[in-house]
Amino acid sequence: MSGLNNHERIMNTYVTQGPVKLSDISELIAKGGDFIDAGGHSLFLGQVRADVSDNKRVTAIEYSVYEGMALIEADKIIEMVMTEFSDVKSVKIIHSKGIVKAGEISLFVMVSAGHRRQASEACTRTVELIKERFPAWKKEILEDGTESWKGVK
Amino acid sequence: MDIEVLFFGVLAEVTGTGRKHYRDVKSFDDLKYRIGDEYPELIHYTYRIAVNNEIVTEDPVLTGGEEIAFLPPFAGG
Repeated sequence: MSGLNNHERIMNTYVTQGPVKLSDISELIAKGGDFIDAGGHSLFLGQVRADVSDNKRVTAIEYSVYEGMALIEADKIIEMVMTEFSDVKSVKIIHSKGIVKAGEISLFVMVSAGHRRQASEACTRTVELIKERFPAWKKEILEDGTESWKGVK
Repeated sequence: MDIEVLFFGVLAEVTGTGRKHYRDVKSFDDLKYRIGDEYPELIHYTYRIAVNNEIVTEDPVLTGGEEIAFLPPFAGG
């Protein structure tokens, strides 16, 4: 893996600086062919939304990630998903840190399974578990340059 | 004992630091007291505590060298 080798890597999860790159996504998709017992891959792309808060538009999100814990939690998430969905062959995750602009990708999940239903359900489950367990935080950057933490207090 | 303390998300801004090293820590209570004394604003925030990457629900027994992290509610993805 040329591009993804440069990121901190433990098993199947990558924390990448800035937006998730198309080249990294295509690399993982290309690698999906290694799982010859898979019959389908389900993908989720999480994108920074230009929300409006206090009448101001969000132009970007700055992510911070507790990387040591994040890689451990991601392994647990993948293990939980593979236990729950026995047909799943592989789960890959890329999560951003740093600044990601509205319209750019901040999360990529790819689940490969023997059959399409488990691929799709396990992909949804993986994203839910990431929301619940992955130690990351977002600070919204608004159009007037002010900042606001999400989900605080 | 020595303990490494990390603050994440909004708490890194509240404390003005992401990481702080504490020396001569006697116990978790002692550490909590020192952190609370130094950063009284922390009381206004919701957070969980992780010891060596594991979230704890009870006060841990420290033996030295632990990494303790203050984690606001997660907002990844």
